[in-house]
Amino acid sequence: MEWGEVKKGIRRINYIVCAVGMAMIIPLMLLTFADVMLRGFFNKPIPGSFEISQYILAIFILLGAAYTQQVKGHVGVDFVTSRLSPRLRAVCEIVTTLLSLFIVAVVVWQGWVVGITEKAVSDQLRIPQYPFKLLVAVGGLLLWFELLIDLLGSLGKLRRSEP
Amino acid sequence: MTPIAAGIIGSVFLLVLLFLGMPIAFVMMFVGFLGISYLASVHAALPVVANTVYETAAYYPYTIIPLFILMGSFAGGAGITAKLYGSFDKWFRKLPGGLGIATIAACACFAALSGSSVAAAAAMGTIAIPEMRRFKYDPALAVGVVAAGGTLSFLIPPSLGFVVYGMLTEQSIGKLLVSGILPGIVLSLAFIAVIVVKVKLNPVLAPATPGHVTWKEKFHALGGVWETMLVFVIVMGGIYLGFVNPTEAGAIGATALFIIVISKMKLTWRSLSTALLEATRISVLVLFLVAGANVFSYFLALSTIPASVSAWMAALQVSKYVVITIIIVIYLILGCFLDAISMMVLTMPVIFPVVKTLGFDPIWFGVVCVIMMEAGLITPPVGLNVYTLAGVVKDVPMSTIFRGSLPFLLAMIGVTILIAIFPGIALYLPSMMGR
Repeated sequence: MEWGEVKKGIRRINYIVCAVGMAMIIPLMLLTFADVMLRGFFNKPIPGSFEISQYILAIFILLGAAYTQQVKGHVGVDFVTSRLSPRLRAVCEIVTTLLSLFIVAVVVWQGWVVGITEKAVSDQLRIPQYPFKLLVAVGGLLLWFELLIDLLGSLGKLRRSEP
Repeated sequence: MTPIAAGIIGSVFLLVLLFLGMPIAFVMMFVGFLGISYLASVHAALPVVANTVYETAAYYPYTIIPLFILMGSFAGGAGITAKLYGSFDKWFRKLPGGLGIATIAACACFAALSGSSVAAAAAMGTIAIPEMRRFKYDPALAVGVVAAGGTLSFLIPPSLGFVVYGMLTEQSIGKLLVSGILPGIVLSLAFIAVIVVKVKLNPVLAPATPGHVTWKEKFHALGGVWETMLVFVIVMGGIYLGFVNPTEAGAIGATALFIIVISKMKLTWRSLSTALLEATRISVLVLFLVAGANVFSYFLALSTIPASVSAWMAALQVSKYVVITIIIVIYLILGCFLDAISMMVLTMPVIFPVVKTLGFDPIWFGVVCVIMMEAGLITPPVGLNVYTLAGVVKDVPMSTIFRGSLPFLLAMIGVTILIAIFPGIALYLPSMMGR
């Protein structure tokens, strides 16, 4: 298979995963709203709305991490690098992306290790925590692939700028 | 190597990687990880990053971030910006620089619904700038007004700036949000004063808008403001009286604006998905920055740097106002190169202990920090609001926008000094709060 197609496939998956996560924001909003209204007017809060909110936040943050990298949403300082030659800039990108790949790999690996051994459940609804903790590994892996695409892109830029 | 030396080397390494363009969240995680590995052990450091990412991403108070962003998106989608601008134009038309004043007032009101300043600058840019240019306003003034007015979203609650400050310093987000109200009004008035003075000195900058507005029209125009006021009063009133926590207030505000958008038939799939993507992108950005900051702070705490710097500062025989002035100057310089939230995330682990040791009120310092974050949005070379506006008005060069916003930067510094002299401007409202 062509690399271009694989790249497109990864980006598509990351977009869809992010869309699934972000669709949870509206239920989060309505749940909290309903909880306040029911508590305020009928003194009947929705049980467990606090912990459900927490889990929803975890879902859309962790699933959105890769897409955020896709649109270069994880901010950096380009004040210096934008003044460098294209070749030097590509070298900077390669070094920093390799370091990012390293730390995200640690997150994926350890996210799996701590997630799979997690025994805790939520206080009220007894929802187990481990599926959500494992999303650290899942979201991290997708982010890692997104960074890999960036790395290959920078390597291509370096090759093209070869004197 | 002593822990302090390790901390200094780590911080220098962090700066180097930062300027090489590595995403700030990953830099802090990476250097923090290396530092903890060195000062504790690799075994201890390995799970720290993954655990911190999870704990940050699943922490209930942070659900406020997407909700605040949705409020701004829905308010923009409902066309509230245009209505606010139209109403204030009718009221301020007779004043010198009337359209500019209307822009600041509309920005301040929009800020009462929105937590992010770029949204405000972009929304007002497409409405107010064409109007001002139609009436032959000086381009630098017209664009500068919008760039500066947009920053008000950071100070007037709901505000992402206070949320991030509260997250980093463990202060009450509710109190911080309430503390922004009076300074926000003062700063808006200062911006208006800048416009009036500039136009009085040089009337060519802003020719008077023709057309008489009757009192009947003026009162009729107030109809454009009531939705904004209602939502603001419910959200901030709920927090102020202690009926709801800030997150719940955010949910109520977002739901109310969601209903307003739907009732105006202005909700499309496209606008909804844009709003949700925006909310996701900014929430992920902020929470990864905070997770990175937590990892890095852990390393700094092991290196004992924050405690040593605070002790050293406290032993220094200088007035605490000299120190705070230096901190403000540092923030003004950093704001030129870093985006507002990254600036807070990077500096707070060291600066906040110092400020607390010196005996400044953490809520008061929060207001000062947020004004500094606003300043960073309009200072060259990388003011975010200026970049946003440069995308909206393509025929005005970036340098003109920076020049146009300079007087407003001076107004921000002036208001900061005012708040230092009269801390009550920031602290009176939160001191009266229910809890």
